[in-house]
Amino acid sequence: MKTKRELGLFNTVIMGLSGAIGFEIFVLLDYAYFHLAGSSIVSALLLAGLINLLIMFSYCELGAAMPEVGGEYTYIKTAYGGYIAFISGCFRWLASVFAAALAAVCFTQQLAYLFSLFVPEIESFMLAQMPLIAIAVVIILATSEIKGAKKPGIFIVFAFIAIFAIFIASGLLRELTPLEILPKQPLEGLPGVFAATVYMFPMFFGMRALIASAAFIKHPGKNVPKGILLSALLIIPLYASIAYVATGVIPLEETRPPAPFLNLAAENVLPGVGGALFAIAGMVASLSALGTSLTVQSSIARGMSRDGYLPKVLLSIHRRFGTPYVAIIAGSLFIMVLSAIGAVEFLGYAASFGSLLVFALVNLSLLKLRKKKPYMERPFKTPLYPFTPIAGVIMSVTLLVFPMFLRDVNAASALVSGIGLTTLVLMTYYLRMMGRYRLQIAIGGVGLGIGVSLVLLTCLSEACFVSPILPYIPSYIILVISAISIIAGILNATAHG
Amino acid sequence: MIVGIMQSMVAVLIVIFACGIYFNFFDIQTSLNAAVESLYLHILALFVFGFFSIISGLFLVHEWLESR
Repeated sequence: MKTKRELGLFNTVIMGLSGAIGFEIFVLLDYAYFHLAGSSIVSALLLAGLINLLIMFSYCELGAAMPEVGGEYTYIKTAYGGYIAFISGCFRWLASVFAAALAAVCFTQQLAYLFSLFVPEIESFMLAQMPLIAIAVVIILATSEIKGAKKPGIFIVFAFIAIFAIFIASGLLRELTPLEILPKQPLEGLPGVFAATVYMFPMFFGMRALIASAAFIKHPGKNVPKGILLSALLIIPLYASIAYVATGVIPLEETRPPAPFLNLAAENVLPGVGGALFAIAGMVASLSALGTSLTVQSSIARGMSRDGYLPKVLLSIHRRFGTPYVAIIAGSLFIMVLSAIGAVEFLGYAASFGSLLVFALVNLSLLKLRKKKPYMERPFKTPLYPFTPIAGVIMSVTLLVFPMFLRDVNAASALVSGIGLTTLVLMTYYLRMMGRYRLQIAIGGVGLGIGVSLVLLTCLSEACFVSPILPYIPSYIILVISAISIIAGILNATAHG
Repeated sequence: MIVGIMQSMVAVLIVIFACGIYFNFFDIQTSLNAAVESLYLHILALFVFGFFSIISGLFLVHEWLESR
Protein backbone atom coordinates (compact mmCIF):
# COMPACT_ATOMS: atom_id res chain seq x y z
CA MET A 1 0.00 0.00 0.00
CA LYS A 2 1.38 3.42 -0.95
CA THR A 3 1.67 5.99 1.85
CA LYS A 4 0.06 9.39 1.46
CA ARG A 5 2.49 12.32 1.23
CA GLU A 6 0.92 15.20 3.10
CA LEU A 7 3.67 16.92 5.12
CA GLY A 8 5.06 20.21 3.79
CA LEU A 9 8.36 21.93 4.68
CA PHE A 10 6.99 23.54 7.86
CA ASN A 11 5.76 20.22 9.23
CA THR A 12 9.01 18.58 8.14
CA VAL A 13 11.04 21.07 10.19
CA ILE A 14 8.67 20.64 13.14
CA MET A 15 9.14 16.89 12.87
CA GLY A 16 12.93 17.30 12.95
CA LEU A 17 12.65 19.66 15.93
CA SER A 18 10.22 17.44 17.81
CA GLY A 19 12.68 14.56 17.38
CA ALA A 20 15.71 16.59 18.43
CA ILE A 21 14.21 18.61 21.31
CA GLY A 22 14.07 15.98 23.97
CA PHE A 23 14.89 14.90 27.48
CA GLU A 24 18.62 14.48 26.78
CA ILE A 25 19.49 18.10 27.55
CA PHE A 26 17.94 17.70 31.01
CA VAL A 27 20.16 14.77 31.92
CA LEU A 28 23.36 14.77 29.86
CA LEU A 29 24.78 18.20 30.67
CA ASP A 30 25.66 17.32 34.30
CA TYR A 31 28.40 14.76 33.74
CA ALA A 32 29.77 16.60 30.71
CA TYR A 33 30.06 19.85 32.68
CA PHE A 34 31.32 18.62 36.05
CA HIS A 35 33.55 15.73 34.94
CA LEU A 36 34.55 16.11 31.32
CA ALA A 37 34.73 19.55 29.76
CA GLY A 38 33.76 22.23 32.27
CA SER A 39 32.48 25.37 30.57
CA SER A 40 33.89 24.07 27.28
CA ILE A 41 30.68 22.04 26.97
CA VAL A 42 29.47 24.92 24.78
CA SER A 43 32.24 24.12 22.28
CA ALA A 44 31.59 20.40 22.72
CA LEU A 45 27.90 20.96 21.94
CA LEU A 46 28.68 23.02 18.84
CA LEU A 47 31.08 20.32 17.69
CA ALA A 48 28.50 17.57 18.32
CA GLY A 49 25.89 19.55 16.39
CA LEU A 50 28.23 20.18 13.45
CA ILE A 51 29.32 16.53 13.25
CA ASN A 52 25.66 15.51 13.39
CA LEU A 53 24.92 17.93 10.55
CA LEU A 54 27.79 16.45 8.52
CA ILE A 55 26.38 12.95 9.02
CA MET A 56 22.87 14.17 8.25
CA PHE A 57 23.99 15.16 4.72
CA SER A 58 24.35 11.46 3.95
CA TYR A 59 20.95 10.85 5.50
CA CYS A 60 19.53 13.61 3.28
CA GLU A 61 20.83 12.04 0.08
CA LEU A 62 19.67 8.57 1.01
CA GLY A 63 16.38 9.76 2.50
CA ALA A 64 15.53 11.72 -0.65
CA ALA A 65 16.58 8.88 -2.98
CA MET A 66 14.82 6.15 -0.98
CA PRO A 67 11.92 7.79 0.81
CA GLU A 68 10.34 4.43 1.68
CA VAL A 69 9.50 3.51 5.27
CA GLY A 70 12.46 1.95 7.08
CA GLY A 71 15.14 4.66 7.21
CA GLU A 72 18.68 3.45 7.90
CA TYR A 73 17.69 -0.19 7.73
CA THR A 74 16.49 0.27 4.12
CA TYR A 75 19.60 2.21 3.00
CA ILE A 76 22.03 -0.27 4.50
CA LYS A 77 20.05 -3.22 3.18
CA THR A 78 20.11 -1.76 -0.36
CA ALA A 79 23.85 -1.13 -0.14
CA TYR A 80 25.16 -4.17 1.69
CA GLY A 81 22.35 -6.69 1.85
CA GLY A 82 20.69 -8.42 4.76
CA TYR A 83 23.63 -9.31 7.00
CA ILE A 84 24.95 -5.78 7.58
CA ALA A 85 21.38 -4.43 7.62
CA PHE A 86 20.58 -6.89 10.40
CA ILE A 87 23.60 -5.69 12.41
CA SER A 88 22.62 -2.06 11.88
CA GLY A 89 19.01 -2.85 12.84
CA CYS A 90 20.24 -4.45 16.06
CA PHE A 91 22.41 -1.45 16.92
CA ARG A 92 19.56 0.91 16.16
CA TRP A 93 17.31 -1.21 18.35
CA LEU A 94 19.87 -1.23 21.15
CA ALA A 95 20.35 2.54 20.88
CA SER A 96 16.56 2.99 21.19
CA VAL A 97 16.43 0.70 24.21
CA PHE A 98 19.35 2.49 25.93
CA ALA A 99 17.78 5.87 25.13
CA ALA A 100 14.44 4.69 26.56
CA ALA A 101 16.15 3.53 29.75
CA LEU A 102 17.90 6.90 29.98
CA ALA A 103 14.53 8.63 29.56
CA ALA A 104 13.05 6.57 32.41
CA VAL A 105 15.99 7.50 34.66
CA CYS A 106 15.67 11.18 33.65
CA PHE A 107 11.96 11.12 34.51
CA THR A 108 12.75 9.74 37.97
CA GLN A 109 15.44 12.36 38.57
CA GLN A 110 13.12 15.19 37.55
CA LEU A 111 10.27 13.78 39.64
CA ALA A 112 12.56 13.56 42.68
CA TYR A 113 13.71 17.14 42.07
CA LEU A 114 10.13 18.42 41.70
CA PHE A 115 9.07 16.76 44.95
CA SER A 116 12.17 18.09 46.70
CA LEU A 117 11.03 21.65 45.94
CA PHE A 118 7.97 21.11 48.12
CA VAL A 119 9.12 18.39 50.54
CA PRO A 120 12.96 18.46 50.62
CA GLU A 121 13.22 15.29 52.73
CA ILE A 122 11.60 13.20 50.03
CA GLU A 123 14.34 13.65 47.39
CA SER A 124 16.85 11.24 48.94
CA PHE A 125 14.09 8.67 49.46
CA MET A 126 12.98 8.95 45.83
CA LEU A 127 16.53 8.76 44.52
CA ALA A 128 17.06 5.63 46.62
CA GLN A 129 13.92 4.10 45.10
CA MET A 130 14.98 5.14 41.58
CA PRO A 131 15.11 1.57 40.12
CA LEU A 132 11.55 0.81 41.26
CA ILE A 133 10.17 4.14 40.03
CA ALA A 134 11.94 3.76 36.68
CA ILE A 135 10.53 0.24 36.25
CA ALA A 136 7.04 1.46 37.18
CA VAL A 137 7.31 4.27 34.61
CA VAL A 138 8.35 1.81 31.88
CA ILE A 139 5.46 -0.53 32.76
CA ILE A 140 2.92 2.31 32.63
CA LEU A 141 4.29 3.64 29.33
CA ALA A 142 4.47 0.15 27.79
CA THR A 143 0.83 -0.46 28.80
CA SER A 144 -0.26 2.82 27.25
CA GLU A 145 1.74 2.00 24.09
CA ILE A 146 -0.01 -1.38 23.87
CA LYS A 147 -3.33 0.42 24.25
CA GLY A 148 -2.26 2.69 21.36
CA ALA A 149 -1.69 6.00 23.15
CA LYS A 150 -1.64 9.13 21.01
CA LYS A 151 1.61 11.09 20.75
CA PRO A 152 1.75 14.69 21.93
CA GLY A 153 1.20 17.13 19.07
CA ILE A 154 3.39 19.88 17.73
CA PHE A 155 2.30 22.22 20.54
CA ILE A 156 4.86 20.53 22.75
CA VAL A 157 7.68 21.61 20.40
CA PHE A 158 6.56 25.22 20.62
CA ALA A 159 6.14 24.96 24.40
CA PHE A 160 9.72 23.73 24.76
CA ILE A 161 11.13 26.37 22.44
CA ALA A 162 9.23 29.02 24.43
CA ILE A 163 10.55 27.73 27.79
CA PHE A 164 14.12 27.56 26.49
CA ALA A 165 13.83 31.01 24.88
CA ILE A 166 12.64 32.54 28.18
CA PHE A 167 15.50 30.81 30.00
CA ILE A 168 18.12 32.04 27.51
CA ALA A 169 16.73 35.61 27.36
CA SER A 170 16.47 35.87 31.17
CA GLY A 171 19.95 34.43 31.54
CA LEU A 172 21.49 36.81 29.04
CA LEU A 173 19.78 39.78 30.68
CA ARG A 174 21.45 38.84 33.96
CA GLU A 175 25.12 39.47 34.44
CA LEU A 176 26.61 36.10 33.63
CA THR A 177 30.00 35.04 34.92
CA PRO A 178 32.42 35.50 31.99
CA LEU A 179 32.85 32.11 30.43
CA GLU A 180 35.83 30.40 28.91
CA ILE A 181 33.77 28.56 26.35
CA LEU A 182 36.64 27.72 24.04
CA PRO A 183 38.55 24.53 24.92
CA LYS A 184 41.50 26.31 26.53
CA GLN A 185 41.37 25.02 30.06
CA PRO A 186 38.88 22.18 30.10
CA LEU A 187 38.85 19.79 33.02
CA GLU A 188 40.45 16.92 31.15
CA GLY A 189 42.16 18.76 28.30
CA LEU A 190 41.12 18.42 24.68
CA PRO A 191 40.21 14.71 25.10
CA GLY A 192 37.69 15.87 27.74
CA VAL A 193 36.01 18.12 25.19
CA PHE A 194 35.83 15.28 22.68
CA ALA A 195 34.54 12.89 25.34
CA ALA A 196 31.85 15.46 26.21
CA THR A 197 31.03 15.72 22.49
CA VAL A 198 30.46 11.95 22.35
CA TYR A 199 28.55 11.96 25.59
CA MET A 200 26.19 14.77 24.53
CA PHE A 201 25.82 13.51 20.96
CA PRO A 202 22.44 11.80 21.66
CA MET A 203 20.94 15.30 22.05
CA PHE A 204 20.95 15.64 18.26
CA PHE A 205 20.06 12.07 17.27
CA GLY A 206 16.34 12.72 17.32
CA MET A 207 16.62 14.70 14.11
CA ARG A 208 16.61 11.34 12.33
CA ALA A 209 12.88 11.14 13.07
CA LEU A 210 12.46 13.34 10.03
CA ILE A 211 14.24 10.82 7.79
CA ALA A 212 12.18 7.94 9.12
CA SER A 213 9.05 9.84 8.11
CA ALA A 214 10.33 10.75 4.63
CA ALA A 215 7.60 8.55 3.15
CA PHE A 216 4.96 11.04 4.34
CA ILE A 217 6.74 14.22 3.17
CA LYS A 218 5.70 16.09 0.01
CA HIS A 219 8.52 16.56 -2.54
CA PRO A 220 10.99 14.60 -0.38
CA GLY A 221 13.85 15.46 -2.71
CA LYS A 222 13.62 19.11 -1.69
CA ASN A 223 11.88 19.09 1.66
CA VAL A 224 13.90 16.39 3.43
CA PRO A 225 17.33 18.09 2.99
CA LYS A 226 15.85 21.53 3.69
CA GLY A 227 14.05 20.22 6.77
CA ILE A 228 17.23 18.63 8.13
CA LEU A 229 19.33 21.74 7.55
CA LEU A 230 16.75 24.10 9.06
CA SER A 231 16.21 21.88 12.10
CA ALA A 232 19.97 21.66 12.65
CA LEU A 233 20.40 25.43 12.26
CA LEU A 234 17.73 25.98 14.91
CA ILE A 235 18.75 23.24 17.33
CA ILE A 236 22.53 23.76 17.45
CA PRO A 237 22.42 27.46 18.52
CA LEU A 238 19.50 26.74 20.87
CA TYR A 239 21.36 24.01 22.78
CA ALA A 240 24.65 25.94 22.76
CA SER A 241 22.85 29.00 24.18
CA ILE A 242 21.19 26.94 26.92
CA ALA A 243 24.56 25.46 27.88
CA TYR A 244 26.16 28.94 27.76
CA VAL A 245 23.56 30.41 30.15
CA ALA A 246 23.56 27.36 32.44
CA THR A 247 27.35 27.29 32.79
CA GLY A 248 27.30 31.03 33.33
CA VAL A 249 25.00 30.89 36.35
CA ILE A 250 26.27 27.68 37.96
CA PRO A 251 29.98 27.94 38.79
CA LEU A 252 32.13 24.87 38.32
CA GLU A 253 32.53 23.62 41.87
CA GLU A 254 34.76 20.83 43.10
CA THR A 255 31.76 18.68 43.92
CA ARG A 256 28.82 17.99 41.67
CA PRO A 257 25.54 19.22 43.20
CA PRO A 258 22.93 16.52 43.90
CA ALA A 259 20.17 18.27 41.91
CA PRO A 260 20.15 18.21 38.09
CA PHE A 261 22.42 20.93 36.67
CA LEU A 262 19.91 22.49 34.27
CA ASN A 263 17.22 22.67 36.95
CA LEU A 264 19.62 24.48 39.28
CA ALA A 265 20.47 26.91 36.50
CA ALA A 266 16.75 27.49 35.83
CA GLU A 267 16.20 28.05 39.56
CA ASN A 268 18.89 30.77 39.44
CA VAL A 269 17.74 32.40 36.23
CA LEU A 270 14.01 32.26 36.93
CA PRO A 271 13.73 32.29 40.74
CA GLY A 272 10.62 30.64 42.14
CA VAL A 273 9.32 28.98 39.00
CA GLY A 274 12.35 28.04 36.89
CA GLY A 275 13.31 24.82 38.67
CA ALA A 276 9.76 23.47 38.77
CA LEU A 277 9.08 24.53 35.16
CA PHE A 278 12.18 22.72 33.92
CA ALA A 279 11.36 19.68 36.06
CA ILE A 280 7.89 19.46 34.50
CA ALA A 281 9.36 20.03 31.04
CA GLY A 282 11.97 17.34 31.70
CA MET A 283 9.30 14.89 32.84
CA VAL A 284 7.09 15.57 29.81
CA ALA A 285 10.09 15.23 27.49
CA SER A 286 11.17 11.97 29.16
CA LEU A 287 7.71 10.43 28.92
CA SER A 288 7.38 11.52 25.29
CA ALA A 289 10.84 10.12 24.45
CA LEU A 290 10.13 6.89 26.29
CA GLY A 291 6.90 6.42 24.33
CA THR A 292 8.65 7.21 21.04
CA SER A 293 11.55 4.85 21.83
CA LEU A 294 9.11 2.05 22.66
CA THR A 295 7.42 2.58 19.28
CA VAL A 296 10.75 2.83 17.41
CA GLN A 297 12.25 -0.28 19.01
CA SER A 298 9.09 -2.29 18.35
CA SER A 299 8.98 -1.21 14.69
CA ILE A 300 12.68 -2.12 14.23
CA ALA A 301 12.13 -5.50 15.89
CA ARG A 302 9.07 -6.16 13.70
CA GLY A 303 11.00 -5.13 10.58
CA MET A 304 13.75 -7.62 11.35
CA SER A 305 11.19 -10.24 12.28
CA ARG A 306 9.41 -9.70 8.94
CA ASP A 307 12.75 -10.28 7.18
CA GLY A 308 13.17 -13.54 9.07
CA TYR A 309 16.03 -12.50 11.37
CA LEU A 310 13.99 -12.55 14.57
CA PRO A 311 11.14 -14.85 15.71
CA LYS A 312 7.81 -14.29 13.95
CA VAL A 313 6.07 -13.95 17.30
CA LEU A 314 7.30 -10.33 17.40
CA LEU A 315 4.89 -9.55 14.57
CA SER A 316 1.87 -10.41 16.73
CA ILE A 317 -0.75 -7.68 16.89
CA HIS A 318 -3.06 -7.17 19.86
CA ARG A 319 -6.62 -8.26 18.98
CA ARG A 320 -8.32 -5.35 20.70
CA PHE A 321 -5.86 -2.46 20.39
CA GLY A 322 -4.17 -3.37 17.10
CA THR A 323 -0.68 -2.68 18.50
CA PRO A 324 2.48 -4.85 18.33
CA TYR A 325 2.22 -5.91 21.95
CA VAL A 326 4.81 -8.73 21.91
CA ALA A 327 7.51 -6.47 20.44
CA ILE A 328 6.61 -3.72 22.95
CA ILE A 329 6.70 -6.11 25.93
CA ALA A 330 10.00 -7.70 24.76
CA GLY A 331 11.68 -4.29 24.44
CA SER A 332 10.15 -3.06 27.71
CA LEU A 333 11.74 -5.93 29.62
CA PHE A 334 15.20 -4.86 28.43
CA ILE A 335 14.40 -1.21 29.17
CA MET A 336 13.26 -2.10 32.70
CA VAL A 337 16.50 -3.94 33.48
CA LEU A 338 18.63 -1.11 32.07
CA SER A 339 16.67 1.65 33.78
CA ALA A 340 16.88 -0.19 37.11
CA ILE A 341 20.69 0.12 36.84
CA GLY A 342 20.14 3.87 36.89
CA ALA A 343 23.65 4.68 35.64
CA VAL A 344 23.06 7.82 33.57
CA GLU A 345 26.68 8.09 32.39
CA PHE A 346 26.78 4.49 31.18
CA LEU A 347 23.40 4.76 29.42
CA GLY A 348 24.40 8.06 27.78
CA TYR A 349 27.55 6.59 26.29
CA ALA A 350 25.83 3.33 25.32
CA ALA A 351 23.04 5.15 23.44
CA SER A 352 25.67 7.26 21.72
CA PHE A 353 27.86 4.30 20.70
CA GLY A 354 24.97 2.34 19.16
CA SER A 355 23.89 5.31 17.05
CA LEU A 356 27.45 6.22 16.04
CA LEU A 357 27.96 2.75 14.61
CA VAL A 358 24.74 3.10 12.60
CA PHE A 359 25.90 6.55 11.42
CA ALA A 360 29.18 5.06 10.19
CA LEU A 361 27.27 2.33 8.32
CA VAL A 362 24.90 4.87 6.73
CA ASN A 363 27.86 6.91 5.43
CA LEU A 364 29.51 3.74 4.11
CA SER A 365 26.21 2.84 2.43
CA LEU A 366 26.19 6.17 0.62
CA LEU A 367 29.71 5.55 -0.69
CA LYS A 368 28.78 2.03 -1.78
CA LEU A 369 25.51 3.09 -3.47
CA ARG A 370 27.21 5.85 -5.46
CA LYS A 371 29.34 3.10 -7.04
CA LYS A 372 26.79 0.30 -7.07
CA LYS A 373 23.86 2.36 -8.41
CA PRO A 374 25.35 5.40 -10.19
CA TYR A 375 22.16 6.06 -12.19
CA MET A 376 19.84 5.96 -9.20
CA GLU A 377 17.63 9.06 -9.02
CA ARG A 378 19.11 11.37 -6.37
CA PRO A 379 17.02 14.53 -5.85
CA PHE A 380 19.64 15.73 -3.33
CA LYS A 381 23.35 15.06 -3.56
CA THR A 382 25.68 15.31 -0.59
CA PRO A 383 28.00 18.32 -1.09
CA LEU A 384 31.76 17.77 -1.43
CA TYR A 385 31.36 14.06 -2.22
CA PRO A 386 33.26 11.81 -1.34
CA PHE A 387 34.83 13.89 1.46
CA THR A 388 31.57 14.42 3.37
CA PRO A 389 30.62 10.74 3.83
CA ILE A 390 34.28 9.77 4.42
CA ALA A 391 34.49 12.49 7.08
CA GLY A 392 31.21 11.15 8.49
CA VAL A 393 32.69 7.65 8.83
CA ILE A 394 35.95 8.95 10.31
CA MET A 395 34.17 11.22 12.80
CA SER A 396 31.78 8.46 13.90
CA VAL A 397 34.60 5.99 14.51
CA THR A 398 36.84 8.63 16.13
CA LEU A 399 34.09 9.67 18.51
CA LEU A 400 33.64 6.03 19.45
CA VAL A 401 37.23 5.61 20.58
CA PHE A 402 37.99 9.08 21.96
CA PRO A 403 36.64 8.59 25.49
CA MET A 404 38.99 5.62 25.77
CA PHE A 405 41.99 7.99 25.65
CA LEU A 406 40.50 9.72 28.66
CA ARG A 407 40.19 6.34 30.41
CA ASP A 408 36.60 7.15 31.23
CA VAL A 409 35.26 4.16 33.15
CA ASN A 410 31.68 4.76 31.99
CA ALA A 411 32.74 4.90 28.35
CA ALA A 412 34.87 1.77 28.78
CA SER A 413 31.90 -0.10 30.34
CA ALA A 414 29.64 1.06 27.52
CA LEU A 415 32.16 -0.01 24.88
CA VAL A 416 32.76 -3.42 26.50
CA SER A 417 28.99 -3.92 26.75
CA GLY A 418 28.74 -2.85 23.10
CA ILE A 419 31.34 -5.43 22.04
CA GLY A 420 29.56 -8.10 24.08
CA LEU A 421 26.21 -7.20 22.53
CA THR A 422 27.77 -7.17 19.04
CA THR A 423 29.02 -10.71 19.64
CA LEU A 424 25.54 -11.67 20.79
CA VAL A 425 24.02 -10.05 17.68
CA LEU A 426 26.38 -11.94 15.35
CA MET A 427 25.72 -15.20 17.18
CA THR A 428 21.97 -14.63 16.93
CA TYR A 429 22.29 -14.02 13.19
CA TYR A 430 24.28 -17.17 12.55
CA LEU A 431 22.10 -19.28 14.83
CA ARG A 432 18.95 -17.96 13.18
CA MET A 433 20.30 -18.57 9.69
CA MET A 434 21.59 -22.01 10.68
CA GLY A 435 18.16 -23.48 11.45
CA ARG A 436 17.04 -25.25 14.59
CA TYR A 437 18.08 -28.83 13.84
CA ARG A 438 21.56 -27.94 12.70
CA LEU A 439 21.94 -25.85 15.83
CA GLN A 440 20.67 -28.71 18.01
CA ILE A 441 23.18 -31.10 16.43
CA ALA A 442 25.99 -28.56 16.93
CA ILE A 443 25.06 -28.04 20.57
CA GLY A 444 24.82 -31.79 21.02
CA GLY A 445 28.34 -32.21 19.61
CA VAL A 446 29.76 -29.53 21.86
CA GLY A 447 27.93 -30.95 24.90
CA LEU A 448 29.34 -34.38 24.14
CA GLY A 449 32.84 -32.93 23.81
CA ILE A 450 32.58 -31.00 27.08
CA GLY A 451 31.20 -34.05 28.91
CA VAL A 452 33.99 -36.35 27.70
CA SER A 453 36.65 -33.69 28.47
CA LEU A 454 35.28 -33.23 31.99
CA VAL A 455 35.37 -37.00 32.62
CA LEU A 456 38.96 -37.21 31.37
CA LEU A 457 40.13 -34.21 33.38
CA THR A 458 38.42 -35.47 36.54
CA CYS A 459 40.05 -38.91 36.15
CA LEU A 460 43.44 -37.32 35.56
CA SER A 461 43.07 -35.02 38.60
CA GLU A 462 42.01 -38.01 40.74
CA ALA A 463 45.19 -39.78 39.59
CA CYS A 464 47.09 -36.57 40.54
CA PHE A 465 48.34 -35.96 36.99
CA VAL A 466 46.70 -32.53 36.79
CA SER A 467 45.37 -30.08 39.39
CA PRO A 468 41.59 -30.25 40.03
CA ILE A 469 39.46 -28.16 37.67
CA LEU A 470 36.99 -26.92 40.27
CA PRO A 471 38.60 -27.86 43.61
CA TYR A 472 35.52 -26.96 45.66
CA ILE A 473 33.17 -29.28 43.74
CA PRO A 474 33.51 -33.00 44.63
CA SER A 475 34.66 -35.25 41.77
CA TYR A 476 31.59 -37.49 41.87
CA ILE A 477 29.29 -34.47 41.26
CA ILE A 478 31.42 -33.43 38.27
CA LEU A 479 31.20 -37.02 36.95
CA VAL A 480 27.40 -37.08 37.31
CA ILE A 481 27.09 -33.72 35.51
CA SER A 482 29.47 -34.98 32.79
CA ALA A 483 27.39 -38.14 32.34
CA ILE A 484 24.20 -36.07 31.92
CA SER A 485 26.02 -33.80 29.46
CA ILE A 486 27.28 -36.80 27.44
CA ILE A 487 23.84 -38.45 27.25
CA ALA A 488 22.13 -35.15 26.37
CA GLY A 489 24.88 -34.47 23.82
CA ILE A 490 24.33 -37.85 22.12
CA LEU A 491 20.53 -37.30 22.09
CA ASN A 492 20.87 -33.82 20.63
CA ALA A 493 23.52 -34.83 18.09
CA THR A 494 21.29 -37.64 16.80
CA ALA A 495 18.15 -35.45 16.64
CA HIS A 496 16.02 -35.97 13.52
CA GLY A 497 15.26 -32.96 11.35
CA MET B 1 12.61 -35.84 28.19
CA ILE B 2 13.99 -36.88 31.60
CA VAL B 3 17.56 -36.20 30.44
CA GLY B 4 16.49 -32.81 29.11
CA ILE B 5 14.76 -31.78 32.33
CA MET B 6 17.66 -33.10 34.44
CA GLN B 7 20.22 -31.27 32.36
CA SER B 8 18.27 -28.00 32.46
CA MET B 9 17.75 -28.26 36.22
CA VAL B 10 21.41 -29.04 36.89
CA ALA B 11 22.36 -26.14 34.59
CA VAL B 12 20.06 -23.74 36.45
CA LEU B 13 21.67 -24.86 39.73
CA ILE B 14 25.12 -24.27 38.21
CA VAL B 15 24.14 -20.75 37.12
CA ILE B 16 22.69 -20.02 40.59
CA PHE B 17 25.91 -21.34 42.14
CA ALA B 18 27.97 -19.09 39.83
CA CYS B 19 25.79 -16.09 40.77
CA GLY B 20 26.24 -17.02 44.43
CA ILE B 21 30.02 -16.97 44.05
CA TYR B 22 29.97 -13.73 42.07
CA PHE B 23 27.76 -11.84 44.52
CA ASN B 24 29.39 -13.63 47.46
CA PHE B 25 26.12 -14.78 49.03
CA PHE B 26 26.60 -16.08 52.58
CA ASP B 27 30.31 -15.29 52.27
CA ILE B 28 30.64 -18.22 49.89
CA GLN B 29 33.96 -17.02 48.41
CA THR B 30 35.70 -17.39 51.76
CA SER B 31 34.14 -20.76 52.51
CA LEU B 32 35.21 -22.11 49.10
CA ASN B 33 38.76 -20.99 49.86
CA ALA B 34 39.54 -20.51 46.17
CA ALA B 35 42.25 -18.19 44.83
CA VAL B 36 40.78 -14.80 43.85
CA GLU B 37 42.57 -14.71 40.49
CA SER B 38 41.09 -18.06 39.42
CA LEU B 39 37.65 -17.35 40.89
CA TYR B 40 36.44 -15.17 38.02
CA LEU B 41 37.64 -17.70 35.47
CA HIS B 42 35.67 -20.38 37.33
CA ILE B 43 32.58 -18.15 37.41
CA LEU B 44 32.87 -17.55 33.66
CA ALA B 45 33.31 -21.28 32.99
CA LEU B 46 30.30 -22.10 35.18
CA PHE B 47 28.15 -19.45 33.46
CA VAL B 48 29.08 -20.60 29.95
CA PHE B 49 28.58 -24.27 30.78
CA GLY B 50 25.33 -23.50 32.61
CA PHE B 51 23.74 -21.47 29.82
CA PHE B 52 24.93 -23.95 27.23
CA SER B 53 23.41 -26.85 29.19
CA ILE B 54 20.11 -24.99 29.65
CA ILE B 55 19.79 -24.61 25.86
CA SER B 56 20.81 -28.24 25.31
CA GLY B 57 18.27 -29.48 27.87
CA LEU B 58 15.49 -27.29 26.50
CA PHE B 59 16.16 -28.62 22.99
CA LEU B 60 15.54 -32.17 24.26
CA VAL B 61 12.37 -31.14 26.09
CA HIS B 62 11.15 -29.25 23.00
CA GLU B 63 11.82 -32.27 20.80
CA TRP B 64 9.90 -34.51 23.17
CA LEU B 65 6.95 -32.08 23.21
CA GLU B 66 6.96 -31.95 19.39
CA SER B 67 6.98 -35.75 19.09
CA ARG B 68 3.88 -36.14 21.31
